[in-house]
Amino acid sequence: MTMTKREVIQSVLTGQTPPYVPWSCGFTKDALARLRGYYGSIDLEAALGNHLLKLGNDIGFFTDLGDQRFEDVFGVVWDRSIDQDIGNVEGCRLPEPTLQHYTFPDPLNPRFFADIPSSIEKYGDRFRVFQIGFSLYERAWTLRGMQNLLMDFYDHPRFVHELLNTIADYNIAQVQQALTYDIDAVYFGDDWGQQHGLQMGPKLWREFLYPVLERMYTVVHQVGKYVFIHSCGDVDELFDDLISIGVNCFNPFQPEVMPIGEIINKYRGRLTFHGGLSTQQTLPYGTVSEVALDTQHLLELGSAGSYIFAPAHDVEGDVTLDNILAFIEILQSQPGYSKTEVERKYAQSG
Amino acid sequence: MRNLDDLRQSVIDGDMVRAQELVEQALSEKAPPDQILKLGLISAMEEVGRRFECGEFFVPEMLVSARAMKSGLALLRPYLVKAKVEPVGKVVIGTVQGDLHDIGKNLVGMMLEGAGFEVVDLGTDVSAEKYVAAVRDHHPHLLGCSALITTTMPHMQEVIQALIQAGLRQQVKVMVGGAPVTEKYAAEIGADGYAQDAAAAALCAKQLMGITE
Repeated sequence: MTMTKREVIQSVLTGQTPPYVPWSCGFTKDALARLRGYYGSIDLEAALGNHLLKLGNDIGFFTDLGDQRFEDVFGVVWDRSIDQDIGNVEGCRLPEPTLQHYTFPDPLNPRFFADIPSSIEKYGDRFRVFQIGFSLYERAWTLRGMQNLLMDFYDHPRFVHELLNTIADYNIAQVQQALTYDIDAVYFGDDWGQQHGLQMGPKLWREFLYPVLERMYTVVHQVGKYVFIHSCGDVDELFDDLISIGVNCFNPFQPEVMPIGEIINKYRGRLTFHGGLSTQQTLPYGTVSEVALDTQHLLELGSAGSYIFAPAHDVEGDVTLDNILAFIEILQSQPGYSKTEVERKYAQSG
Repeated sequence: MRNLDDLRQSVIDGDMVRAQELVEQALSEKAPPDQILKLGLISAMEEVGRRFECGEFFVPEMLVSARAMKSGLALLRPYLVKAKVEPVGKVVIGTVQGDLHDIGKNLVGMMLEGAGFEVVDLGTDVSAEKYVAAVRDHHPHLLGCSALITTTMPHMQEVIQALIQAGLRQQVKVMVGGAPVTEKYAAEIGADGYAQDAAAAALCAKQLMGITE
């Protein structure tokens, strides 16, 4: 009997050998526009055949202030005049190291959960993940300013602990509500890395972030669900710590900053990796053949399990349609995977 | 000079208040301003860069050290001017057009200042035309271009092309850096220097200036 996509993901998360390597690929607005030009009016989710059903919203919800400025529920204003997917923080919501004059938003606002029932109904065969982006350190710096927060670790450590724990309380309330739905995992996002090493270093990460992360992840594990974490950059020195607090899957698994082949073999069965295809080099600058070669290599690495294929970041607008279609075609042509009608149609015409 | 050793240590420790006290003390004891700068501040930031490169220091430590250095430098600057102590060079820096990320570029600016350079920061989303205008206006020895994302990297090449077209390429050396930028890419677009991080940027700038100490 054919496994559902949900079951295939469960198999890789539990260290089993899947029938094929599952995938879940993301795209920026520019790249999506390119894909829409190719696929026309059909549902892109159906055409891509992703295995993760992403619920909630990874970057939250925004109020349009006009002039390409958007305010998130935390009162942080984002300038999207250039980066139209997320934007860049404008100003500083917490100019002083105190929460005295700040009120957190309502974590149970119905719009965080509004899409869950209809999405599950539409794509019930997929592995359901509730997303919380900017889930700790990033939420803290978007409120306080990155340079301020990084210096606060030394100047105002009690404030940093209070801020991180208050963010965690907010997230935990939201996660507990999400867990009342039939979901499989919570996908936390929080960039800690640089191209080389951690932004705050391992000592401060362990002192300030680790205990709060443990508190958040425990809420998910207590009800038998999985924990996914996205953290850009060179963070592989944290993998043992992350496993110890219950992380099941790590994204984005960037080949430019960590030896992905060595790592997947080292952690197989203990940690699953989601990502892996170079978005800094191969996708924007490589040929179709090079994209195909890297994709095949990743599928070989992942054939024994503990791997979900994806570009190591939402594909940017500097990647050609041919390069995007190259990896999609290889994914959907894997032995053991049965193409859907839509996938067959576009594979033939492409 | 025990006082300057203590000043150096206070900057490494990121202790801004102590650094200010020790600069004032050194000045009151008539220590030469150039010695306070070299032995107290620049030497400290060299050590901060060394510790960053070998993974002992990370961004927070670099930031608090740079803040201590800058606060000491602010007190020292009028005395440097009076004593006609010149910066080791002038650098114009910025994040290229289409890119609003600034922390990496800011760290580079701090480390360059800590290495004794005068830094002109053009900010973020800087067009090739603005870089060219800044070279005309400020006559820097070096120009630093930062990019965090692959979609904005090509603007680095545009900056170099614009300098060539303006007839200014020979007057300034161009350094590039940022997460997706590689040494190979820097060479391909005709940059003079590449640095993988802020500490390396200070070393690269000194090399491009022929400073060998």
